[in-house]
This record gives sequence, C-alpha cells and structure tokens, in this order.
Amino acid sequence: MDFKQFLKSFKNRTGYDFCDYSDNSISRRLEKICEGTGLTFEQMLDKSLIDTTFRNKVIDEITVNTTELFRDPATWISLYKTLYQQLPKSPNITFWHIGCSRGLEVYSNLILMHQMGLFDKCRVIGTDINPRVLDIARQGEYAYKFNLYFKDNFDEVMKGCGLNAKFEDYFDIDEHNDTMKIKSFMTERPSFIIQNLVQDKIPFAYKVDVVFFRNVMIYFNEKLQNKIMASVCTKMYDGAALILGRQESLTSLMSTRFTKMGQFYQKKA
Amino acid sequence: MSDYKAIVIGGSAGSFAVVLKMLSKLRQDFELPIIICMHRLKHIRSGLAENLDLKSNMKVVEPYDKERIEKGKVYLAPANYHMFVEFDGTISLSVEEMNNQSRPSIDYTLSSAAMAYREKCIGIILTGANKDGAKGLKDIADKNGFTIVQDPQTAEVDTMPKAALKLIKPNLVLSPDGITDFLNKLK
Repeated sequence: MDFKQFLKSFKNRTGYDFCDYSDNSISRRLEKICEGTGLTFEQMLDKSLIDTTFRNKVIDEITVNTTELFRDPATWISLYKTLYQQLPKSPNITFWHIGCSRGLEVYSNLILMHQMGLFDKCRVIGTDINPRVLDIARQGEYAYKFNLYFKDNFDEVMKGCGLNAKFEDYFDIDEHNDTMKIKSFMTERPSFIIQNLVQDKIPFAYKVDVVFFRNVMIYFNEKLQNKIMASVCTKMYDGAALILGRQESLTSLMSTRFTKMGQFYQKKA
Repeated sequence: MSDYKAIVIGGSAGSFAVVLKMLSKLRQDFELPIIICMHRLKHIRSGLAENLDLKSNMKVVEPYDKERIEKGKVYLAPANYHMFVEFDGTISLSVEEMNNQSRPSIDYTLSSAAMAYREKCIGIILTGANKDGAKGLKDIADKNGFTIVQDPQTAEVDTMPKAALKLIKPNLVLSPDGITDFLNKLK
C-alpha cells in the first residue's frame, strides 16, 4: 500500500479527506508517522479505525500546527500601515482566521485592534481541523522560554507601527511554571470553531471583512486550492481583504477575482 | 550540463560569503538551476536574495510556493520556510516544525531533490556549524547523484562538512574556488 492508497482508504473509512494535499508534503508527514510508530500504512489504517485516540494523533501529525505571535513582523507592520488604516467604519469588523491552529495569529491581530481602539468592534472567528490546537487557542497559554522570540516579534511590530504597547500588557508571564498566558479580556473575544476545510460547510452565517489564510493552502494541490478559495470568496464582502503567507500566491484562476494591494489581496466587486 | 538537471547547495555559518563569491564567478551562460538552502539568523528576513542577485549573472529569487524551477535561475530558501523540490519540477514550501533546529532545513531540500532528480543532481555541502544537510547529501549519493563537500580546512566552521564526510565519501572534496571551477567546467 502506498501513501495515496492509504489516503483513499483513510477517507473512505474515517471520512477525513487528505487526498488533494500536495504529494511531497503529505507523503513525508505520513512516513514520519510510520517511522515514529513503527507501523506500516496497512497497520496504521487498521489502528485508526478501532482507536480514536490514535486516529486523532494521525490527523494531528498530518496537519501542520505551526503558529507564532506576529509571524513575519514586516508583514504586520505593512498591514498596520495600509489595510488597518482603511478598515470599514461599520459597527462590526469581522475577521476570519482559517487554519488558526493555537491562535497566536488571532491574538496578534486583536492586539493591534486593541491598540487602535477597535477591539470592541471586532468579531473574530478562528477555524481549524484539529480540536487539540483549538483547545490551546481558547486557553491562550503557551510555553514561555521556548517561545521567547514572540516578545522579539512583538517589540519589532510595535516599534515598526510606532506603538508603545508592552508585551506584559497582553501576557501574564509565569517564569516559575514556564508559561505565558494571554490576558482573559483577550481570550474571551474570539470564537474558535472546528472546521475541516475540505469537507465541512463554513460554520458561521455572516460575511467577513478580513480573511487571514496564511500558509495553509501551500499544503493543497491547485485543484483543491481553487475549490476552497471559491468557497471562501462566498463569505467575503466585496472589497474584503485576504491575507496569504509571505511566499504564497493565488492560483491563476482565483487571481482574477482579487486585486493585489501589497501584502494583501482585495476582493473585486 | 545535459547530464544534470539541477545543483542543490546547503550551508550555514560562513556560507553566505562562499555562495556570493561562487555566484559572481559562474560563467555568463551558466544555465543549470541552482537551489540553495542556507540557514540564516531569524531576524534577517530580507535582503539576502537581493544581495546575491546584485552580484550574480543568474536571477536569484526567494520562490513562491509551487513556483516552477527554470533554467538560469537561483532559488534561495525563504526565511522561516522549508523548501522542497517536487516531482513535477516545482518548488514547494512548508512551515512545519524545525528539523535539526532549523527552518529552512538543508536535509529537507537535499532529500527532496534526491527524490525528484535522482542521479541527475549535484549536491554540495558548504561551511556551517550544524549537522543539518549531511543526511540529505547521503540521499543524493544513494541515488547516484554527484556529491561535493567543501574542504573542512577551507571552511569558516567545519562542523557541517565534517558531518557530511562522516556519513559518505563524496565524489569531490574541494575549496570554494575549486567548486566554482568545477561548475564552470560542466558540459
């Protein structure tokens, strides 16, 4: 059984469809699981069917859960100076973070909104396929020493935006237990909802002003990218902004529906 | 150059100067794609490709995900992304966990090139203070690709070339100028 046959059987028997993930990435991650567990594809499949914990572990390892506070500070500074200065003047501004993982990008955005006095207008949704990381996002608690560079990113962004906020304004640091926790007025704001992008309907009814969709589509093949972007578009207001990862671009099919504005794309009417 | 489809280079501490010099001395009509994975300090996020581009006859880019690999171009792994060569001749990127404490990981780039190009790949390991890349170079050797390791005596930090030499006996061990001469003589 090769990885493609594994993915097909996994889809048919568990409902989780990873068939249109890019080959190199998914095969490498599956091989890693095989190495780590000492199981063959057949054994992994059998075990996933009877052992839910193991199945969730497979999904956890297949999906990439990297997220950091103010990842690519230059991108955030640019967004602050452009997009954030032209957000709609409506009573609500709705943000959707797709593949939000442990929520650090959600909180990065909220920190800037708070600095701009827009916090109370923000409606924020974070979606992800992985229930484990969403629990961490809700808690907003992270290892401290391992993630010390969050503070460097934070300071770089504040400096670049000309803001005076301190890291401690938003994080409670507990060096003894090696944790930092986002303050509760922040963690109370977003809704974190499970969504399997490939199969599930979008789990909320309203339209959004800003979509963060960074470094998620790099794991999908072009066919799947087009399908998912078309569905995301239906939830975006005309003129809404789409933010991709620094080294990502829209497929040629989807790029006709957007205008590139530096670090973000604007949906055409 | 028809025997090969691409050159993949890995390096860490001290390798920027080596790569800069190599690219500036490659002959005008050099057309094999060069795929470079260099560790860099996390806060240096831009300017590297631009600097190399200024000194090189070839176009140096930090590729976008799914960008096609073309002749006469140099592809530099973007900061904070892993870079892979895909079977269809495109680059793919990933932000997954670090490998050997590194993102980009040289092992990932070299191993993916070994899979995609098999014996039609030249792999080069330069100076560096980390073992990342040794396993990737071995993968290239295992597919009968051509392997070169920078002579540890000429390396600013010899950990990386020594780690590679511990795993395999490369086709050549050369100084930076020796590597450039070798590439310029490829037919």
